[in-house]
Amino acid sequence: MKSVPKLIRRFVGLLLLSFILLVIVNILIFAVIVSRQMANARPWKTAEEVAAALTETENGVLLSDEGAETLRLSGAWAILIDNDTKAVVWHSDNLPKSVPAGYTLSDIAGLTRGYIDGYPTFTSGTESGLVVLGFPKTSFWKHMWPSWDYQLIAHAPQIALVVVIANVAVILLIYMAASTKLLRSVKPIANAIRALPSGDPVYIRETGLLSEIAFHINSTSEVLQTQKRQLQKRETARASWIAGVSHDIRTPLSTVMGYADQLQAAPGLTEEERHKAEIILKQSERIGKLVSDLNLASRLEYNMQPVRLREENAVALVRQAAADFANADPDGKYPIRWETDEKLLVCRVNADGELLRRAVANLLQNSAVHNEDGCTIYVSVEKNGESCVIHVEDDGIGASDEQIAKLNSAPHSMACDETAAEPRHGLGLLIVRQIADSHHGTAVVGRSRYGGFAAAITLECN
Amino acid sequence: MEMSGLKNRRILIVDDEQTLLDLVISVFQNDGYQNIAAAKSVGEAVRLAKEFSPELAVLDVMLPDGNGFSLMERLRQDGDYPVLFLTARGEEEDKFRGFGLGADDYVVKPFLPRELLYRVAAILRRTYREEKTVVPLKNSVIDFSRAEVIRDGEHIPLTAKEHALLSALWRGAGRIVTIDALCEAAWGDNPFGYENSLMAHICRIREKIEANPSSPVSLVTVKGLGYKLLVEDK
Repeated sequence: MKSVPKLIRRFVGLLLLSFILLVIVNILIFAVIVSRQMANARPWKTAEEVAAALTETENGVLLSDEGAETLRLSGAWAILIDNDTKAVVWHSDNLPKSVPAGYTLSDIAGLTRGYIDGYPTFTSGTESGLVVLGFPKTSFWKHMWPSWDYQLIAHAPQIALVVVIANVAVILLIYMAASTKLLRSVKPIANAIRALPSGDPVYIRETGLLSEIAFHINSTSEVLQTQKRQLQKRETARASWIAGVSHDIRTPLSTVMGYADQLQAAPGLTEEERHKAEIILKQSERIGKLVSDLNLASRLEYNMQPVRLREENAVALVRQAAADFANADPDGKYPIRWETDEKLLVCRVNADGELLRRAVANLLQNSAVHNEDGCTIYVSVEKNGESCVIHVEDDGIGASDEQIAKLNSAPHSMACDETAAEPRHGLGLLIVRQIADSHHGTAVVGRSRYGGFAAAITLECN
Repeated sequence: MEMSGLKNRRILIVDDEQTLLDLVISVFQNDGYQNIAAAKSVGEAVRLAKEFSPELAVLDVMLPDGNGFSLMERLRQDGDYPVLFLTARGEEEDKFRGFGLGADDYVVKPFLPRELLYRVAAILRRTYREEKTVVPLKNSVIDFSRAEVIRDGEHIPLTAKEHALLSALWRGAGRIVTIDALCEAAWGDNPFGYENSLMAHICRIREKIEANPSSPVSLVTVKGLGYKLLVEDK
């Protein structure tokens, strides 16, 4: 959305450039015209040439052939006024009849800067008199007061420069004003559009030129907010429902587990009966864990599980999870091998201790669930540069490459979309990945170097 | 440590589910507890507590006429005895609320009866420790009140650190107590870097409690994880 102000700036910039170019073009055109106007000096020159071509002879004043040709080409008539008599002592053949034959001094002053009977006249002095050329009536316009303020002419270059600078400054001001005003009206709209994808409510004042766009953006925001509220409501309802069901299952399950436990230890039972009681107890425990996992997974998915991050020692957390697991396995069916480097006693991570312990516990439990005949579980914490990697591996039955690929590519959510053809399994692993996600870390599974299943949680070290 | 004294403690159990109530009562009775009273509601529990004067209460959180948290507060007005919540509400907020109000433990259903018994016994030991100070081991006896070990008739004194470590091990007797938890018990909240000191203390404790410290039978190492104290009556 930063492109909108950029676009406006570019557009207005183009306009500004056009203005400047226009000024330059105008100056150029002016220069050309001025240079052409140098021709305005032509009639004066012609008058000088004609004057020079006049010679006084015994037979009177004569115009040379060259002078006559110049006069003919200019289309002007010519007269020579005598210095003493102020009378016309010579004239060209094409002299109009309306041109007087005698002149006073004031007439001469007048015709020098003006006209004779509408003919623009130009003069040039000779030894004996004044040559006056009269050009056709519509050939020249003469300025009757040809005088300029001396300072104006003396400072003409500076004045021209100031005028150009002032023009450019005015154009720049117009640019700034136009650009600022446009940006001011576009900015809230651009900001609003940028804020829409974040899901936050957006409102902009529906005034000015762009009020219609503002209205549509406000409407879109309202629709999005309504949808968000409905989605949250639905998600909360789903998570609450799961929480409610899991709560309702817990109490009866406690009774089943309690009595199965007592039955298992009761005297007078056959071995087979005792074994059955043991199975009831184990399966009940499994249901209990499933219910607990389901509840946690749904809470994590719908952001109802608070994640309280604080600095924790990953080594101590993982060790506690391993010890808890070992304590719950008094028969030693799943011996734990602590493979962490003895020198690594502290690995600080930002984590919710309870959740991270739960993730490791789930991985340990996963090894146990898939290896009913028992297996050795290898647990280690490794500091790898800026990362803390928690490994839980076993030497059990493991998983095929296909299963591993499927587990690693499964979506990190409880939902089964059309891409997941089979209903998902392994809620325990899903929780591990959800917990890793909530810690901005990763969880991957694979083959263990000990022959079985391997899982690794990677978190960023502090 | 004598367990018979603990089994005489008066325990009040409150849960609105009759079948679960019956189960918990039978679990305690089968383990030798003799003074047990049960209630199914807040009102009944408050009335019963006045007559029975419990020394420990096991409370459900969701009850028909109120909740376990407020019940605990009312019970504590009459007597300051430990409370353990036994509830289907397993969310962290509930646990934090329970502990925040001063509960001594919080067990989420479904539970294993043995776990409940261990936890109740641990609370009773902590609360009424003056009667329970002698712990018999394979080759010796620990007397916590006197801070000494008695082996072959010889009284060997325990240092403060050894006492703290053995207490932590005794609280989790029969279970692995992690290296980190032991360091925390002996050196407080910032126990990093004491692992070597811990090993030295464990060696000295073994010299006091074991007949053959190089082959320990009461204080065993669980490699990489921690240590386990094996007591004779466990």
